[in-house]
Amino acid sequence: MKALLIPAIVLFGTLAVAAPALHRHETDKRGVYMPIAQAPEKNRNLQNPFEGQPDAIAAGKKLFLQHCAECHGEDAQGAHRSANLRSSGVQNATPGELAWFLGNGNLAKGMPSWSGLPVERLWQIVSYLKTLHK
Amino acid sequence: MGLVCLATGTFWLLPSALAQEPPYFVTYSHHMEEPDNLEIEANSVYATQRTGNDFIAPWMEFEYGATGWWTTEVYLDTQATFGDSALFTGYRWENRFRPLMREHWINPVLYVEWEDISGADKTLREVVGFDTEADHAAPNAEARQEHQHEIETKLILSSDFKGWNISENFIGEKNLGHEPWEFGYAAGFSRPLRLAATPRPCNFCRENFLLGAEFYGGLGTSWNFTQSGTSHYAAPVLGLQLPSGAMLRISPGFGLNDNSHRFVLRWGLSYEIGSFGRKLRSMF
Repeated sequence: MKALLIPAIVLFGTLAVAAPALHRHETDKRGVYMPIAQAPEKNRNLQNPFEGQPDAIAAGKKLFLQHCAECHGEDAQGAHRSANLRSSGVQNATPGELAWFLGNGNLAKGMPSWSGLPVERLWQIVSYLKTLHK
Repeated sequence: MGLVCLATGTFWLLPSALAQEPPYFVTYSHHMEEPDNLEIEANSVYATQRTGNDFIAPWMEFEYGATGWWTTEVYLDTQATFGDSALFTGYRWENRFRPLMREHWINPVLYVEWEDISGADKTLREVVGFDTEADHAAPNAEARQEHQHEIETKLILSSDFKGWNISENFIGEKNLGHEPWEFGYAAGFSRPLRLAATPRPCNFCRENFLLGAEFYGGLGTSWNFTQSGTSHYAAPVLGLQLPSGAMLRISPGFGLNDNSHRFVLRWGLSYEIGSFGRKLRSMF
């Protein structure tokens, strides 16, 4: 019983102290959130190979609901600590910046890196995100 | 609702989240648990034993994303040896840290684990030092008398390239008694069968299958760093990521020398609960 008690204390202790950092949404001149705007130049100008393709947008929506909606909400308007993905801070970013940011995340502020997903799926998510400003 | 689900063990009724981890059993990649998510895993290993009885060693894993760069995990180990007995063999507490905040060609992760297990532990979570098949031949009543308090460290190096994940682990383990450092290795590669997702949800389409292989074995001790006299394995791995948030994995492994178990079969089921910490905190 003692052996089980120790891991239980460890788990719940971690849950209690792992209070995430507060998010501050600073932006660049275009109004893009700074963590996204920090994408390298070569990534910023990449074209989305799936741009405008209805199947890619539908696949991107499926992936968004599977991986992103838990934090950002099914309507992508943000919930709890996560950003509103319909805001200009996201929508003013280029597709290349968004794909780079999805692959790198913002680990210090709680946004995970999604580099475990193939880059094709990241572009599909970007395709879907870019439809949300309409 | 959430409290009821947790209390009754019906955690799969809670909203799930999809993980992005490779299907390895032994090798670690640089992909951490998503922040605030809890992944519950039930895994088992069956191994043949030439001098002694075959065994099955099931273990539970509770993996929590404390932050984007820190994942902590608790393991509860058990085993059942045919013709002998079944017993709880101890626990492990593992922590993984990503020192670099961005993706690179090679992504390092530092791993530290505390183990409080008995000599009867047969989960084969790693092979280090001069671990051999013969270590698992002792009867449970005898093996359980030995208590092992160990620190295990790993340097995890991992890369993603064109849909492939390639990971290498260098393992150093120290028994806190007067024992030398023991070393081991694990390496793996994997890839989804289809890179782009299809528009519609599906269970058994190619995009949900992950295929790969892993290789692991011992590297002797700080007194005798060598590949001989220890065991080595090769194991194909197959994973199925279901849209429900569950992931099934299976891996038949084969011993590569006379010191190894001839055949090892691993299987596991994992389920990821999104925003677990927030849900838990909201109950109190």
